[in-house]
Amino acid sequence: MIPAMKIPSRFLAAAFVVAAFASPAQAHPHVWVTVTSAVVYDAKGAATGVRHAWKFDDMYSAFAVEGLPQKTKGVFTREDLQGLAEVNITTLKESDFFTFAKAGGKDVVFGEASDYYLDYKDEVLTLNFMLPFKTPVKEKDVSIEVYDPSYFVAFAFAEKDAVALVGAPAQCKAAVEAPKEVSKQLSEASFLAGNWGQNFASKIAVKCP
Amino acid sequence: MKTAAGRGTIAAAAFLLALGFLLTLFGVPDAAFAQGSPFGVGPRAAPPPPPAEGMMGWIFAKQAEFYRMLSGSLRAVKTDQTAVAGLFGISFLYGVFHAAGPGHGKAVISSYLFANNETWRRGVVLSFASAMLQALVAIVLVAVASLVLGATARRMGDAVWYIEIVAYSLIILIGLQLLWRKGRAFMAALRGKADHHGHHDHHHHDAACDHLHTPPPANLAGPGGWRRGLAAIVAVGLRPCSGAVLVLIFALAQGIFWAGIGATLLIGLGTAITVAVIATVAVGARGLAGRLVSSGDGKGALLLRGVEVLASLAVIAFGALLLAGYMANERMLI
Repeated sequence: MIPAMKIPSRFLAAAFVVAAFASPAQAHPHVWVTVTSAVVYDAKGAATGVRHAWKFDDMYSAFAVEGLPQKTKGVFTREDLQGLAEVNITTLKESDFFTFAKAGGKDVVFGEASDYYLDYKDEVLTLNFMLPFKTPVKEKDVSIEVYDPSYFVAFAFAEKDAVALVGAPAQCKAAVEAPKEVSKQLSEASFLAGNWGQNFASKIAVKCP
Repeated sequence: MKTAAGRGTIAAAAFLLALGFLLTLFGVPDAAFAQGSPFGVGPRAAPPPPPAEGMMGWIFAKQAEFYRMLSGSLRAVKTDQTAVAGLFGISFLYGVFHAAGPGHGKAVISSYLFANNETWRRGVVLSFASAMLQALVAIVLVAVASLVLGATARRMGDAVWYIEIVAYSLIILIGLQLLWRKGRAFMAALRGKADHHGHHDHHHHDAACDHLHTPPPANLAGPGGWRRGLAAIVAVGLRPCSGAVLVLIFALAQGIFWAGIGATLLIGLGTAITVAVIATVAVGARGLAGRLVSSGDGKGALLLRGVEVLASLAVIAFGALLLAGYMANERMLI
C-alpha cells in the first residue's frame, strides 16, 4: 500500500514543478523598431553617449497616434507629438531604454535621456533621443546593443548607415555586428534568465586604435 | 488489489503528464499581455518567449511571420479590395498559430475542463464562445473608443487595464469555486476510503465503494453547469488580444475598418479551432483517466479527486499570476 501511494505523490510534486516553470508565456514581437544610432564624442575624444533614432512599424505607429489631437488632419507636428514622446521616454526608463553598452568589456551606466522628440513621416513614427553615458567613456572599445529581453519589441539596426560617429577621433571605426548564431545552449540559458531577446540583438562595435 | 491500485497510479500519472504537457506547451493564458508597454502607449510587453526550437519555436516563428504580414495585406486591401481574401486567409492562420503560442486562455480552459470533468461538446463550445467573445470585445472596444469617443491609445490602454482586472479576478473566482467543490469531493472520497479500509479490507470492488467515489450529482454538468461555463467563457474571452486591437486601429487609420473587423473575426475563428483542439485533448485525457480509475479500486478514484483539486488550484494560480504580473507592472502603464 505505502509504495503505491508514494509514486503518485512524486507525480504530484512533479506536476507542481511543471506548473511553476510553465508560467512565462511567450509572445511574438508586436512592435518592430528600426534603429539608427550615433555615438557622440567630446573634444577630448571620449564617448559621451548614444543618439538614437527609432523608427516604428506602421501598425504600432497608427496605434500610438490614434486619437491624438492634430492641427492639420493627417499631419502630426513635433509639437502634436511631444506629449507622446514624453510618455515614451518616461516609460522607456523602466527598461533602461533597451540599450546595453560596454566599454573595455565593462558595463556602462547611462544618465537621463534628453533632447527627445517624435517625427511622423509616411505614416510612421520615429523617436529621437540622446542617451548620455553617466561619465564620458575613454576606453578604446565600445559596444552598444539594443534589444528587448522579452522580445516583445523587435529591434533591428537599419540596413544602411545604421551607425555614425559624431566628433570621434579620426581613426575610430564603427560597425554593426549581426546577432550571434543562436545555439541551443545559449537560448535555453537565456530563456531561463528571462533574457531571450538578447539572442536577436545586433551590436554596434566601435574600435579606436 | 495490487493491480487495481497500480491502475489508479497509472491513471493519475497519465493525467498529470497530460496536465504537465498542456501547461508546459501552452503556458499561462494571456500572460503575454500581463506586463506594461515599454513605450507607455500600446500593447503591453510579454514575458520571455521560449527557445526558438522544436515545435514551440516553429509556432513562434509562424505567428510572428503571419502577424508581420497583416499590416501589408491591410495596405493591399486599401488599394485593391480583392486583396481581402489574402488578408482574411492570413488572419485565420495567424489566429491558429497565435492561439497555439501564448495566451487565449488555453491553460485556463484546459484546467477547467480537467477539473470539471466536462464533455467534449462543452469543451468545444467553450473554446469557440470565448475566442469569438474575445474578437467581439476587441471590435467593440476599438469602435467605441475610436469612432464614438475619439479616445487616444492611452485611454484604450486604460480600458484594457480594467477589463484585465475583471477577467483575471473572475478566473480566480472560478478556480476558488472549483476548489470548493472538488475539495469537498476529495474529502468525501478520503473519508469514504478510510471507512472502507477500516471495515471491509478484503472487498475492493463492492458497489458501495464505487458509489462512494462517484461525484454527487450537483457536481455534474447541468443547468447550473452552463452558468459556470458562461463564467469561464467571459473570464477567458474578456481580454481582447493586443494583435487584434492593433489590426483594427491600423485598418481604421487606413479607412478600411470593415476589413479590420473581418480580419479580427477570422483571427478569432483560427484561435477557436486551436483552443478547441487543446480542449479536446484535455477532455480526452480526463475521460481516459476516469475510465482507468472506474475499473480500479477506491484509491484510483481518490487520486483522481486529488488531481481535480490540483487542476482547480492551477486555475486559481493562473488567475493570481495574471493579476499579480499585471499589478507588478502597473508603473509601466501610461
